[in-house]
Amino acid sequence: MLLEASRLSLGYAGAPLVRSVSFQVEQGDVLAVVGHNGAGKSTLVKSLLGVIPPVSGAFNWPGGKPKTIAYLGQRTEFDGRFPIRVRDLAAMGAWHGLGLLGRLGARTHERVETALRRTNIEHIADHPLHVLSAGQLQRALFARTMVQDAPLVLLDEPFTAIDQTTETQLLDLIDAWAAEGRAIILVLHDLSAVLQHCNKALLLGNGRAQFGLPREVLTPANLVSQGYLSPSQAAWIESMFSQPQERDMKAEGGARV
Amino acid sequence: MFEWLDYAFMKRALVATSILSFSVAPVGAFLVLRRLSLAGEALAHAIVPGIVIAFVIAGLSVLSMIVGGLIAGVSVAVLTTLLARTTIIREDASLASLYLVALALGIFILSAAGSAVPLKSFLFGSILGIDDETLILIGATATITLVSFAIILRPLIVSTIDPVFFESQSRRPGLVGQWFMFLVVLNLIGAFKALGTLMAVGLMILPATAARYWTSTITSYLVLTFLFALTSSWAGLIISFYAPDVPSGPAIVLVAGGIFVFSLLFGPQGFRLTSQLRGAPKSSAATAPEAAE
Repeated sequence: MLLEASRLSLGYAGAPLVRSVSFQVEQGDVLAVVGHNGAGKSTLVKSLLGVIPPVSGAFNWPGGKPKTIAYLGQRTEFDGRFPIRVRDLAAMGAWHGLGLLGRLGARTHERVETALRRTNIEHIADHPLHVLSAGQLQRALFARTMVQDAPLVLLDEPFTAIDQTTETQLLDLIDAWAAEGRAIILVLHDLSAVLQHCNKALLLGNGRAQFGLPREVLTPANLVSQGYLSPSQAAWIESMFSQPQERDMKAEGGARV
Repeated sequence: MFEWLDYAFMKRALVATSILSFSVAPVGAFLVLRRLSLAGEALAHAIVPGIVIAFVIAGLSVLSMIVGGLIAGVSVAVLTTLLARTTIIREDASLASLYLVALALGIFILSAAGSAVPLKSFLFGSILGIDDETLILIGATATITLVSFAIILRPLIVSTIDPVFFESQSRRPGLVGQWFMFLVVLNLIGAFKALGTLMAVGLMILPATAARYWTSTITSYLVLTFLFALTSSWAGLIISFYAPDVPSGPAIVLVAGGIFVFSLLFGPQGFRLTSQLRGAPKSSAATAPEAAE
């Protein structure tokens, strides 16, 4: 096992956002974190990074905490006009281990090129950031996340303001990372993507947490009781569960809540 | 044509502003990139009471000037953050209030003490004011600044582009920003004698904004910012030599302003960028890769 949390309280001292969070993550897992705004999703991600420590309890890393945890956060504070090329943005994923004056070695350069190729942005590698579309920028940030080359990858709402084509390709990339034995923790609002690409789900909301298989956790009743959906919206997911072949939905581009 | 080079004070000023350009260029570049240009301007005024009090107490001692300026600059910066966090007034208005009080206080003390230094050279700089001590101050400032940048350049870049990502990668994420603000205050004090308190920030910001119109990688940006700062300093000094009533500060900043206007008009990322965007709905760089998908 890579990571275990048992009965954690997360948030800020005196005002925890969510209590009794328990889950396990193995290598190759894709864990979806779902919940309403303010349920504690980003707080969970930041507590894993050590930025906001848990109010009570601690994460257990049976094999030791990984040296690098790859992280792609929300883009609210990202400066898309900084004078830097796409290739260098991707290479930033490797800066952490370099020390103060170290240079990127040949092997790192290769890692950067591979990441650019797999995110399908090789042809714009020398473009500055300010000419990129939102989708291209997110691909570049996925490339940076790949260059971090970590056993655990944290993605906080990576598909906000991204078109469906890009989302589909990036989700396939996440599947590939899982197949390489990396664990991925993914904050998502797109429930159809959760059901197709994630093998575990953590539902946060109204101060509580539920963990398990996506089909068992993300039931209409749970989603309503934890404040994620209104009862009328829950009818939609009911109909989704009744569909025998959910993979077909992928071809239609997936439906969003 | 080169008779201005015969004067010792001009040689001195030339050396001083050249070293200063080396030092303020990266500081100004990152003030612009971190969207702190106006905060830099405010800090330049905020250091005034510290320098004035030091001057009234200890005379023209460079060391006491640094200490006074650092105390005043850092106090205003810290107080601003504190007010923005604990009261309803936001950071910009807090900073504006504090620096205005600080500047007024500085000029008040300077006038009340019946200073021997004319107010004009205090506000706008004087090439005659550059003595050996000032040269040492500028040299030390440049050394500290350049060594610091060699160490913090990468974290500074990452924290500027993507502060959220930087926070996830760094054990003490606030440190780089604080160190940088210290360098800003230090360079303002270094630039104070040659440029004056009202113009010190000009040599930082204008070459940096002008260079941004031409460049799209950080290395070329830093190099061009330095070249623009150097050109402004030299040309400004020569103007100030031939028009002795013009203080050096405004002369240098006006040259920098000329370079800024030229870059705005002709740089690929100035007005030409907007006309390109207006001509075609999207620049070719942005559309071509989309089509390839």
